[in-house]
Formats: sequence, C-alpha cells, structure tokens
Amino acid sequence: MTLLRLPSSTAPARPAARTRTRRGRADRRPRILIALTGLFFALLYLPIAVVALFSFNSKKSLTVFGGFSLRWYRAFVHDDVLISSLGTSLRISLVAMAGSVVLGVALALGLVRCRTRLGSLAGLIMLVPLVTPEIVTGVASMLLFKGLGVALSTGTVMLSEITFSISYVTVILRSRVAALNPEVEEAAMDLGATRWQAVRLVTLPALLPAVLASAVLIFALVFDDFVLAYFTTGVDPQPLSVRIYSAIRFGLQPTINAVGTLMLAGSICLIALALFIPRLFGRRGGLDILSGE
Amino acid sequence: MDATPAVRLDGVSKQFGDSYAVHRLDLDIEAGHFFSLLGPSGCGKTTSLRMIGGFSDPTEGAVLLAGEDVTALPPNKRNVNTVFQSYALFDHLSVADNVGFGLKRTGVAKAELRQRVGEMLELVQLSGLADRKPRTLSGGQRQRVALARALVNRPAVLLLDEPLAALDLKLRRQMQVELKQIQREVGITFVFVTHDQDEALTMSDRIAVMNEGRIEQCGTPEDVYEHPASRFVASFMGTSNLMGGTYRGGQVALDGGPALPVGARPGIADGTAVSVSVRPEKIWLSDFEPGMSMLSGVIRETVYSGPTTTYLIELAPGVTLSVLEQNTARARMEDRWSGGETVEFGWRPEHCLVLA
Repeated sequence: MTLLRLPSSTAPARPAARTRTRRGRADRRPRILIALTGLFFALLYLPIAVVALFSFNSKKSLTVFGGFSLRWYRAFVHDDVLISSLGTSLRISLVAMAGSVVLGVALALGLVRCRTRLGSLAGLIMLVPLVTPEIVTGVASMLLFKGLGVALSTGTVMLSEITFSISYVTVILRSRVAALNPEVEEAAMDLGATRWQAVRLVTLPALLPAVLASAVLIFALVFDDFVLAYFTTGVDPQPLSVRIYSAIRFGLQPTINAVGTLMLAGSICLIALALFIPRLFGRRGGLDILSGE
Repeated sequence: MDATPAVRLDGVSKQFGDSYAVHRLDLDIEAGHFFSLLGPSGCGKTTSLRMIGGFSDPTEGAVLLAGEDVTALPPNKRNVNTVFQSYALFDHLSVADNVGFGLKRTGVAKAELRQRVGEMLELVQLSGLADRKPRTLSGGQRQRVALARALVNRPAVLLLDEPLAALDLKLRRQMQVELKQIQREVGITFVFVTHDQDEALTMSDRIAVMNEGRIEQCGTPEDVYEHPASRFVASFMGTSNLMGGTYRGGQVALDGGPALPVGARPGIADGTAVSVSVRPEKIWLSDFEPGMSMLSGVIRETVYSGPTTTYLIELAPGVTLSVLEQNTARARMEDRWSGGETVEFGWRPEHCLVLA
C-alpha cells in the first residue's frame, strides 16, 4: 500500500542491478521499455514544464513564447485577491496539519494500545476516508455544515480538511507505534516519569521522524486540495485552488502559470525536506512516506 | 541485621483469564542480597518481577517494599529500578542523558546530576562514551548503560530481567562476574530473573526456583543444588540421575531395576511412589569408602569432554545412570573405563536423595 515512495528507498536494490550490467547484459535491455519510460515521463511532466515555461513569457499569449520576463510574477504579487487566497490556503494547510497530526498520532497510539474488538473496529472505520471518493466527503461535509446552520468559511474548510487528513497520519504512524518497544515507555516510568511524561519524553521523540513526515505530507495534500475546499469554503476569502478554478472560468490569465510554478517549487522543497528529515535523525536511506520508516 | 525484608510478596497471584501466571506467592528477599528468580520460560518469574516493579498489578495479595505496602503504587512512585531484558534505552538521548534521566525526573540539581552520572559511567566503565547515542554501542555496552541508568538512582532494590540473555557466552561470563562485583560495591538488593541455572548458581546469595507460577524451593545455591526439594528442582538444577521407584522400609525398588538401599526416611510412607536422585559427580567409580551404597552395571557410553568424562552406565535394562569423572592431574589415561566393561560404582548415602 505504498502511496508515495520516495526514490532513495529503492537504493539497496541498485548494486545488484549494477553487477548484472557489468556482466555485459546492458545491450539486452529492451529499447521499447526505454522508449515507454521516456514517453511516460514526457506525458507526466511536459504539461507542467509548459506551465513553468509560459510563466516566464513576456507576452500575454498562452501559445506563443515572446521572451523571458517576470511580468506575470509581478502581476501575481500585485494581485491582492490571489495573494489573500494564498495566505488563506497557507493558513488552512498549517491548521489542518497541526490538527490532524495531533489527533492522528493520538488515534494511532490508541489503536495500537487498545486491543479490544471495539478498538479493531475503530481501526477499520478509520480507513474509510481513504477510500471514500472525495466528492462524497465534500458534499457530505457541506450538507452537515448547512444542516447544523454553520456558515461556510475558512474555519469549515479547516475542520473538514482535518477530518479528512487524520486517517493519513494514523496510517503512517500506526506501524511505527506498533514497532515501538513497550519496555522503553515502562523504563521511563520506572525512572520516575508519569505516564504522560513517558509519552512526551520518550514515545513522541521516538516517533518524531514519522510525525514530521506525515506533517509534510498533510501540508502538501491540503494545500493543493480542491474538491473538499470547493464544497466547504465561504465566499471570501477563498483558498487558492478554488480561486484559481473560478479565475479560469473568466478566461485564463498567464498569472495562473506563475502561481502554478511557485506551487510546484514549493512542493519540490517540501519533498526535499521530507527526504532530508531522516538524515537529521541519523538514519540512512530514504523515507517511505506512508510507513514513516 | 535489618529484620524487615527489602521485598516481601504476600500471597501474590496474577491471573490471566482462567490460568495463573503466578499462584499465591510468598517470598521474602533480604536487604543487600543478590536474589535470583530461576525457572523455565513461562514459570512466572518475569511476571513476579513486573509486579515488584509495578508494571503489572497482582490480582490477589500484596507487594511490600521495606515493609511498606506498595501494591497500589505506580512504577514511578516505587523506590525500585529495573534493567529490562531489551535494555529499553532511549535512542534519541545520549548515553549521559539516558543515565541522567531518572535524576532529572526527581529534580536533582544539575551539578550533582553531572557528578553522579560521571561516577556511575566510571563504575560501569563507559566514561569515554558519555556523548554517544545508544544505537552506536555494542550489546555489552548497551547493557552497561541500562545498568548505570537504573543504579544511578540508588534504588532500594534493583530488578534485572534476564539482562545477560542477549550477550554471547564469553561476554555473559564476564558480565556475571562484573555484575556481582558491582552489587557488592553498591550494596543494593538485586532481584535477578534468569532461566540459566549456572548464572543463578554463580551469582546469587539466594535462589528461588519457580515452576508453573509457584516457588518450588528457595535457598542458598548450595541448598538448592545439593538438596533439591522436589523432582523438578533436581532435574532443573544441573543434571541429575532421576530414577522412579517405590519406597518400602529403607529401600527403593526401582521401576524395572534392583532395590536401592536408601536408609530409613521418616515422613515417607511405605508404598509411596518416589524418585531417587543422585548427581553424576557424586558417583564414585574407584577408591570406595566403607559405608557407601554399592552397585554394579555395564558401561554403555563414554563421552570425553576435556576436563571431565561422562560414563553412561546401565544398571538394569532401561535404567541408566550418568557418572561424571574429573580428568584430574592424578587420573591416568589408561585408568579410563571403556564401553562394555562391567564396573562397580557407589555413592555416599547422603548424596542419594529420595523425592516424593
């Protein structure tokens, strides 16, 4: 069930492959597979590359490249509506990240420690949001808020994003919690810590790499989320993804390219960070975002 | 001498579902002793230790530390510390911070903390590794960190849950000696859980042999080894020739064998099914003395293992005894028995135990 496996986690397999090519089997690598791989990456990244390229276009055209310019970045920076949406999205992502990490870690601890039938049932129910179509979650959240008479706002987006994200955090953390040695927490209590101090001083630090990895993942997921945000946001301010969608309906502005490119750069930085986190804790190899290992 | 035992278990039971892990255990552990709980896996020794430490609540009975009932107290309120089988070190903290963890929790001043941690690391010979992370240490070093982390708090009782089990044989032997030295030096009561009878014999002041949640026998290593109180203790402690039979008037008629004279045993009724136990090293093959119980048999197997040689002697069809001979400086090569020979052997009456 690997959602996102970052490249260096496959590192151990590489030396074996290298020995095989040294034995002269390189020429037997089928060209068709190389071509297919190339095609795959082209289809995946060319549209994005085009967006990035045209964000630096000096013309307003979306088809003809006139020359390098930062015109659309300048337009974005001076577009108060887009900037306020960016701020809203960042706020939503940060709050959703904090909220879902706290609740998700607590749920993971609870699910692993509570070995009753009710506990395993909760463990199954917890997985439902992962397979529910987001549009269903979105419509349901909107209807819930309407039914309760809660006006849609940035706050309602935050609440639904937290609800939606808890499962991701829990799935990542659960295997890590299960792998913890229960004697370590007991040792802390043996040395004079209360139960809560033992969790805070020993268990949470042991989980920190996985906690940070899940936080980065949730931030990225919530920041680009459109569907849930669309159904649960108020009129003003709107999250960036919703704002871009409504802007497109009134004709495509090259400013959007600049926004998209900035978001891409941001995502790359986040992924780099996620890769860097395990190094901070002195672990070798990559980080499996899903298991936090 | 302090009359109050450091640890007292008063009718302590631990029930999991219908089965008892520990059954109505009564146990006194004297202050300053190196005390071992010895038994096979699943005998309840670790559960007993966890109840002393406060990690497991007894379903019945009371745990007393220095005369005070601590049954209801959590681990952090008990003046005991534990060395866990897995060491349970805090991987995100340095060796010094691991050792200082308990002192920090009790609010010991920084200067004193640093001094005590330093002294303790010196005691366990880890002074140079204070800033290292546990992950980078060897098994033996990690074991010492766990020991230092517990001892630095100067607990009244130190609980050790098979702390040497993960070490290789040579290191284990070395740590046995060291652990015993450290215990003498600090004078703290050690309660040591092990399934290794050699370990228990070499290190302990007293041993409680446990089986199926009960204490079979509690005594000094000599007591437990030389005078096992039950068939279980006799077979668990070292090797023993256990022969089933029926007691009648100062003799035991072995099942399928001859009758052994064992002397009058008051307290054993005629016709009782008993086991006769003789340690292999207590059987003589030569230089007999008057008053010994003498038998003869056929040598079936000779197992040479360096300092000792083991003979398997068939007393009667189906009744085989093993006999251990020291290959001492005076014993000559040609004196050794070989297979098929009929030999005389004997033991002193006091070395033959009759276990009901």
